[in-house]
Amino acid sequence: MLDVALILIAACSWIAAALLSLNPRSDERWSRWLGIIGSILASASAVHVLASGAISRLEFPFWRGAARLEMDGLSAAFLLPLHLVAGLGVVYGKAYWPLNLPKGAGRSLRFQYGLLVAAMSMLFVARHGLLFLLAWELMAISAFLLIATDHETPEVRRASWVYLVSTHTGTALLTAMVILLAHRNGGLLWLPLPAGNSPGLDAWILLLAIAGFSFKAGLLPLHFWLPSAHASAPSHVSAILSAVMLKTGIYGILRVSALLPSIPWGFGSALLALGALSAVYGVGNALAQRDYKRLLAYSSIENLGIIAMGVGLGLSGRANHDPWLVALGFGGAIFHVWNHAIFKSLLFFGAGSILHATGTRDMEALGGLASRMPRTALLMFPAVLAVSALPPFNAFLSEWFLYRGIFSSLTRGYPWSAAMALVALAFTGGLAAAAFAKFYGILFLGSPRSPVAEHAHDPPRAMLLPMAALACLSLGTGLAGVLLLPCLDRVVAVVAPGSAAMLALGLRADMRLLVGAEALLLVCGLLAFLWWRRSGSSPMSEGPRPPTWDCGYAVAVPRAEYSGSSFSDAWAPLQLGLKARIRPITAIFPNPAVFRSEFRDVVGEMILGPRMERLAVRLLRFRGLQPGYLSIYILYVLLALLGAFLWMFLRGRLLG
Amino acid sequence: MSQSLLSLTIQWVLHLLTLLLLPPLIPGLINKVKAVLAGRSGPPVFQLYYDLAKLARKRAVFSRTTTWVFLAGPIGTVAAGLVAGLMVPFGHTGTPLAFEGDVILFAYLFGLARFLTVLSALDTGSSFEGMGAAREVAFSALAEPALFLGFAALAKASSSLSLSTMLLGAGVGSGRIAGPLILVLVGWAIVFLTENARIPVDDPNTHLELTMIHEVMVLDHSGRPLALVLYGASLKLLVLGALLLDPLLPRAPQAWQNWLGFWVGLGVLAVAVGLVESMTARFRMTKVPQFLIAGILASAFAFLLLLV
Repeated sequence: MLDVALILIAACSWIAAALLSLNPRSDERWSRWLGIIGSILASASAVHVLASGAISRLEFPFWRGAARLEMDGLSAAFLLPLHLVAGLGVVYGKAYWPLNLPKGAGRSLRFQYGLLVAAMSMLFVARHGLLFLLAWELMAISAFLLIATDHETPEVRRASWVYLVSTHTGTALLTAMVILLAHRNGGLLWLPLPAGNSPGLDAWILLLAIAGFSFKAGLLPLHFWLPSAHASAPSHVSAILSAVMLKTGIYGILRVSALLPSIPWGFGSALLALGALSAVYGVGNALAQRDYKRLLAYSSIENLGIIAMGVGLGLSGRANHDPWLVALGFGGAIFHVWNHAIFKSLLFFGAGSILHATGTRDMEALGGLASRMPRTALLMFPAVLAVSALPPFNAFLSEWFLYRGIFSSLTRGYPWSAAMALVALAFTGGLAAAAFAKFYGILFLGSPRSPVAEHAHDPPRAMLLPMAALACLSLGTGLAGVLLLPCLDRVVAVVAPGSAAMLALGLRADMRLLVGAEALLLVCGLLAFLWWRRSGSSPMSEGPRPPTWDCGYAVAVPRAEYSGSSFSDAWAPLQLGLKARIRPITAIFPNPAVFRSEFRDVVGEMILGPRMERLAVRLLRFRGLQPGYLSIYILYVLLALLGAFLWMFLRGRLLG
Repeated sequence: MSQSLLSLTIQWVLHLLTLLLLPPLIPGLINKVKAVLAGRSGPPVFQLYYDLAKLARKRAVFSRTTTWVFLAGPIGTVAAGLVAGLMVPFGHTGTPLAFEGDVILFAYLFGLARFLTVLSALDTGSSFEGMGAAREVAFSALAEPALFLGFAALAKASSSLSLSTMLLGAGVGSGRIAGPLILVLVGWAIVFLTENARIPVDDPNTHLELTMIHEVMVLDHSGRPLALVLYGASLKLLVLGALLLDPLLPRAPQAWQNWLGFWVGLGVLAVAVGLVESMTARFRMTKVPQFLIAGILASAFAFLLLLV
């Protein structure tokens, strides 16, 4: 009871913050503090539920029946990252998008942001079909308006419309799913379904849920809205979209599958394969990006793919009654949800700082930021290591769970999907390292490629503090992951009802040694560093430093530096949307060389885009129905009402 | 009890000493073999020890474009190599650090070392180093699946995810796995040559920056950081070499025999690398991915053989 009440209070406090920020006479500080207090309350409640495993519910009459809000381990597992990122984002947003910007979008941005957080808070506790859909819709619309914050740019408008259309297609599927679920359950309340005699219906419910929620989670091939939407939104909004809103799709799949008495055959392996494909596709396209925020968005597709792989493993474990696989799969997925929330919001905050300092999203115009924005560079370093799943940072641990799950499913006889997932996960790891070596290397290292990068500077403290908190969390989770095992067990117990707590029992000893090895790594690094310091040759202590040894070429110009495109050139076959044009050399004294490359998303812009445009042209035929006269529209309403009445009268006679 | 504790301590001390002191000998041996085969007398076997001692006394030079990231590469390489070396068994002699799933940490530690090396190469702002970094990243991403498929095959055969059990366990020596094991070792030999930047993938002695992979990434390091880079590279030779040797070494009844067997095996491996380097030329850069895909296929076939 108390935990749900806290979440309700938090949601109300965010709504109050949103309303307050609309009032032009109120001080911005009040609304910010309201939001932060809401986040602290909600996080406290989530931590309490995760630490104790308590379930608290609240029932109230709603629309000819009872509705229920419930707070269990699964809700808490998603509420915690939501309120962590939301609270930090509000601090970050204060300096990132000041209220009195000439564009004047500051108020609507703050209003929508508060609404989005409140909607997602309600989404995670709703246990009623209609309530869930309402929260889902509120989330979708406020996210649409947030993406369209900078709506004077045509590119942003387009991105937000594509998002709106695809999210509503997903909602249509989810509505069908909710109706089927209500039919199966005899009510809109989401209760665990009894074992039924119609496995076909369960399969349809799960299929619709996976299809509808995949739109939100950005799984292949429903990811096409994601890159431009995330690149166009203000950076702290991108952080919350990527770190939490995408995960509502994963939450939905987990929640609906937890209601089902058993998992129909084949869903686990299919989701595993889909996740593996999304992961490789996402990271391959991330490599091709010049826009660093788009690169991060594609990396979100990769990470959601990895999470889906975990969910797939867990589902196939449930289908085969294999508790160890269930624990590793679902546990790894939930753990990766947390880890991705931490490092991806850090990455987007960092990207926002760069955008704030330089005003460009083009990687090839930047470079050398590490010496101009030293604090940002230092705080982004853990994030790029974490996103490449390298020890000792947090994402390595969740991938370690998944590897163990995949290996154990290999030895237990579902080898084909597991073998594919194994190769995909290993390959994804290598490619993610390549993509983020490019990200960090081209943005922060080397010498600046343009004047804007030359004059960059660190952002104010309000933007650095949230990043510092997330960087510490990233390392801290990596080193103290053992402590989270019991919490993960509690979440898994909700996702897979009736499963035993396996993680704490089976992994604790191994994980202690693993963490010990990681600590040893840090100690070895520190010793090597101290050994170097003892030589007394610090780069700072010297006078003027020499230029880089470039084969003796002393006046290296930044234009000759290795660019991001050339860095990822070796992966051209994987970067499906990348088209490069080079003018071939024909004469002995060739013309000036030209190289152009452009990127278009294969699914969104190559396959769907042209077809949608053709469809739009065909639909123009019906334009005549929309003449723009109010009287005609009233006639339509009357006709529709008449039709409905006729149907009600005639239904009994027609159907006998 | 005290007897076993004593022998355990001796094992650990020997393991640490081998890990810390032996690595620079391996490149020396390889170079000696190459020199002898080419009819030269070549540098002494202990040349790398002398080099390291010399570099430790030298002052490091830092270019004006570099930042602290420039140091992360050398330091990370050595730290990751040392921790990985604690997890890999040196023959049938016991491992200081073994747990289920250590094989994943092992593989990702090399990933960490590579990532940091690549970043410190990009930190110099030189296009040559950028080129080397791009190649290193590309080739190692192809080497990764070969390594992992080999691990998957051995994990399937030994039902374990711990390096020491996988490489030396009871199942590994049996007849059923002999065929797959050969394929895995072929795949891993390719990984070994790639990761250590040896011929035919990369030429450690090349003098043209345009054709280098690993060497060009560390052009700017000097003094103690360069010493760390060289030491880290030799450490990688030892650790990955142990990975390759372990399944081949027979189990001897006495501990000292096992140690002797490992050291001799390491010498043989160094000679073999020297022989390969003397007899083959390096591939054209465009052929390298094909070579690596051959490694992936070898490991994949091994894995498939174990599935059916």
